[in-house]
Amino acid sequence: MNTEERNKEGILVEDAKSAKKLTRDMLAELEQKEKSPARRALDFFISVCPMLAAALAAAEYIYVPNFERFVSSNVNPERYLIFLAVPAAIYLFFWLHALVRYRMGQKKYYWNAVHKAPLYSVLFLALSALDLLTLKSGKLLYPFIPWVNDIINAAIGDWPNLLKSCYYSLELLFKGYFIGVAAGLLTGIACGYSERVNYWINPIVKVLGPIPTATWMPLIMIIVPNLHAGALFIISLGTWFAVTLASRTGIQNVDRSLFDAARILGAKGHQLVFRVAIPSAMPNILQGMTQGMSSACISLMVAEMMGVEAGLGWYMTWAKSWALYNRMFAALVVLVVIFNAVTNALNAVKKHALRWQNGVK
Amino acid sequence: MAEALVLKIDGVSKSFARVETNDITNALENINLELHQGEFISLVGTSGCGKSTMLRLIAGLITPTYGQLTVNGKKIEGPSPDRGMVFQQPTLFPWQTVEQNLSFSFRMRNNYGENKDKVERILKVIGLENFRRDYPAQLSGGMAQRVALARTLICSPEILLLDEPLGALDAFTRMNMQDEILSMWRENRQLVVMVTHDVDEAIYMGTKVVVMDAHPGRVKAEIPIELDYPRNRSSSQFVEYRNQILDMLDYGAKE
Repeated sequence: MNTEERNKEGILVEDAKSAKKLTRDMLAELEQKEKSPARRALDFFISVCPMLAAALAAAEYIYVPNFERFVSSNVNPERYLIFLAVPAAIYLFFWLHALVRYRMGQKKYYWNAVHKAPLYSVLFLALSALDLLTLKSGKLLYPFIPWVNDIINAAIGDWPNLLKSCYYSLELLFKGYFIGVAAGLLTGIACGYSERVNYWINPIVKVLGPIPTATWMPLIMIIVPNLHAGALFIISLGTWFAVTLASRTGIQNVDRSLFDAARILGAKGHQLVFRVAIPSAMPNILQGMTQGMSSACISLMVAEMMGVEAGLGWYMTWAKSWALYNRMFAALVVLVVIFNAVTNALNAVKKHALRWQNGVK
Repeated sequence: MAEALVLKIDGVSKSFARVETNDITNALENINLELHQGEFISLVGTSGCGKSTMLRLIAGLITPTYGQLTVNGKKIEGPSPDRGMVFQQPTLFPWQTVEQNLSFSFRMRNNYGENKDKVERILKVIGLENFRRDYPAQLSGGMAQRVALARTLICSPEILLLDEPLGALDAFTRMNMQDEILSMWRENRQLVVMVTHDVDEAIYMGTKVVVMDAHPGRVKAEIPIELDYPRNRSSSQFVEYRNQILDMLDYGAKE
């Protein structure tokens, strides 16, 4: 009995069946050019580089002698080593994980590590370069540009204030942002639907829209007794503009035939708004929310640097005025981390909400 | 079914005002038709003859300027899932999966719970069980149109309105879908009204071809197609019908 069935092209039916069970990894590998052993070895070396770079940065920090003026001023020197070790250890963990997965046939983690490794390596080397330019040689002028360990010491030394500032900043940012988003959704969707609402809202958006909301800060400082409330207003205003504009455009551009289809399927009144128009306008709405967030971040900083006596922006100007540059840098780093975290979180939400937009998964 | 369904179009005219010039366009003028359950009506005509307007009137998406449309004596007011419509574009809701699109109508009418099995059944019928969690952007044109058809059929409409539903498909998918629609219709025996640009398709599928004329849109002729299903596209009677209809549309063989 002939057990080997073949289809028209002479391909084993068994093979054709198993081809259906191809995974994404297998597909990528099948269609990839064959890699030479040298290339494979190089890839492996690249994937190890971040650990090597971290070790190099640590060795440089330990063995290169400090600049003569700073010999006794680098207190708690071990903190910088921990600062280097933590990301290096995280990378090591993911690298090991990737190797284990590679053995199991899931190669994407490893290739991802190879892809990211050069960037991480350069980051460690850049830290080392900064250390050489500051602590080791005094080339960059202290105290305006402190060395990393000095910043770490400042951050740890003043952490209760930094934490409090973070809390104030985030509270103000999110309060203002959510008020702005809620109001923006309301007016934007109403404008998209109703000519009459648009008649009244459009002039406001048109005249005030191009002006950066931070412009109003001095005015707000004069007329509003409570600066916190003023800042809240400024932050909400910028977000409101962005969200209103984007959601109005979104609603106005909903494909009319979707409404026809929905009505024929029995959707009525508010269902047409909430089940058809708003989901359909979601890409625009989320775009507006992203823009709103960047506007809110700008307004927050301006407000905190100009008047509100709390938050990271205030902390930075305060540290600067007392010539505590290391604390200023510490606050700056915290700000960078926070704004990035917020933006990434928003992007993750956006990606999830709009997963229907991508074609093939 | 107790009473055989009758759709009456009584002296219906529909005019549109142009936005910029205020000119009035008469899309349809004095249309009188009586359509019965179990018929498959093909509407053909050059563009601008008001074929789509007619379907939208029957669907209840627009109201007539003069005259009235009735189903079993009841005036058509507003759209209803009982008069399902499929458009040239699939018009699936892109943010919903295949399954969610199919259950949309039930969810709008809050009776999804008792109709879950219908979604399962129709997924099987259109052969897209493995694509239930896919979004419309991931489907091919033919698959998307099949889902759109299923989304309408799942409500078991008494009248099925097809507005060039196969116009955007390639020739082979188109012929397959013609047969699929026909077998579905022969099983359920609704009244189907289909707009098409394709005279062959009109003859291949319809029990009756309604030929329309433009400026203003009106009915030129009603031609019953007396051929057994499945029809042979190259039989001599088929070709005769084709010549007759093309002649009426001024696309006949020129001497």
